[in-house]
Amino acid sequence: MRHVPSTQLRRLADEPLAVPDRALRHVTGCDRCQGESDEIAANAALAARLLSSPASVGDIDREWALLQDRLREPGQARHRAGTALWRARRRLASASLGTTAATAGAVLALGAAAAAALTTIYAPTHVAPVRVDLGDLHAIEHITGIGPSQLMGGLPPSGSRRLAFGELTWATAGHARQVSSIARATALTHLAWSAPATLPPGVGAPLSIAIGPQVTATVSFSNGAAPGIAGSTLQIAAGPAVVVQYGSRSGQARMPTLAIAVMQRPTATSTGATASELEKFLAGRHGLPAGLARQLRLLGNPATTLPVPVPSGMTQRQLTIGGMPAVLVTAPSGIASAVIWENHSGVVFAVGGLLDNQDILSVARQIG
Amino acid sequence: MDISFVTRPSRESPPTASRQFERFFQDHYPAVVRIAFGVTRDAQLAQDVAQDVFISALRRFPDPARTDHARAWVRVAAVHVALNTIRGERRRERHEQLAGAEPAAAGPEEMLLDREEQVRVRLALRRLPRRAATVLVLRHSGLSYAEVAAAMNAKVSHVGTMLRRAESALRKELENATRP
Repeated sequence: MRHVPSTQLRRLADEPLAVPDRALRHVTGCDRCQGESDEIAANAALAARLLSSPASVGDIDREWALLQDRLREPGQARHRAGTALWRARRRLASASLGTTAATAGAVLALGAAAAAALTTIYAPTHVAPVRVDLGDLHAIEHITGIGPSQLMGGLPPSGSRRLAFGELTWATAGHARQVSSIARATALTHLAWSAPATLPPGVGAPLSIAIGPQVTATVSFSNGAAPGIAGSTLQIAAGPAVVVQYGSRSGQARMPTLAIAVMQRPTATSTGATASELEKFLAGRHGLPAGLARQLRLLGNPATTLPVPVPSGMTQRQLTIGGMPAVLVTAPSGIASAVIWENHSGVVFAVGGLLDNQDILSVARQIG
Repeated sequence: MDISFVTRPSRESPPTASRQFERFFQDHYPAVVRIAFGVTRDAQLAQDVAQDVFISALRRFPDPARTDHARAWVRVAAVHVALNTIRGERRRERHEQLAGAEPAAAGPEEMLLDREEQVRVRLALRRLPRRAATVLVLRHSGLSYAEVAAAMNAKVSHVGTMLRRAESALRKELENATRP
């Protein structure tokens, strides 16, 4: 037999069953082929050691959320992922909700959702922090059928979900859309506020100005829900809202450095059940983590408090903006922060971005 | 296989990801990020590469279940984008220094090899012919001979030879790099 070709000798190193028996027999009896086979196997082993990859590949859900973020920002998707800002964003996502939790709108929406799940007659007058981790968010998602990714833009304008204790339906008064100026956004939403006159160093002009319509959600409790709750409905209204995203001064990356969200406070009304009945029922739902339920109980009067979720790993500080309570949330190493507060007129503000505390507060104090 | 699409940023707005594309992402992200890591030797860079590959794949295969070669395409694209990334890394390092970014801390993945060895491997891959680097990375990321052949548009019977030559070239590059 002729000597075994090198392609078969290479395959012998890692797929020996794919090599014909007669080639195997030849190699064992041929010094030349055996020598070449040994050299090939040594090179293969070296390459295998040097090019080995880890078993762990990171958080797939987080990467999917980041990819969706890029798709939602058409300009951004044209740029490569490996920029310093992009990395900051991934680190931020790793440390928080598993997606762009530091964006002001998301924090606000989660606060509204958490609050709405607790009370009947609800008209918050101030904010207060509530620590949440991914387990808490999954629990809220399990109970309400709506998770962070839906809250951040994945929810259709209207729809319904069947819950374990009834049905959730929601509808929006119009569509979210871009507008040409902050003045136009203010006129359309009737939200009275002033954009900051002085922006922190590095923050450029607005990249996008969007208005969101008012969202109304109704929970219709089934007849088997619980005594006092059965057959009642809970209606929650949130918005309208304005979200302004600012770019970088260099203009190199169309990635937001600062976001300001302004929203009419969420309110809730009930057609039958009392506040305490609803609170007991929802807080006692199977699956609501005990730690989260305890924190919500400790907030004081739930009818007047807007809980601000603070993701685990982030630090929070309570302070005042314009004389009203505010919650400042900071990502590890201070790479990003956000501050949330409600003013005297029932308008909720969130200012957040890839900036340090001082810069975020300087913007907040100009608009609060 | 045409992967030029992925090697330059597109001016088009990307389409919206469908449920099918999400499933495709979930199924193939681990393989793509492992292949990218095989080249970059850096977990963060590998994740960046995977993001770029899937953004390009979405433009090309909005419904990947309806095509046979989306699976192979993302794997080859991962090698090419990763090679482009390490070839341009001197420029990137300078850019990040200017932007004040912190150097990425070595994670458990990078600990598989010591830092010096990681750099040597990356430099060697950078110098190898692109086809040699591709066959090495695809095979050593766990693809079978048949999968490597499909991804590289080659015959299965040729993969062994391509691999043998590439591994020999890798050893020579490493030896040259350590020679005084």
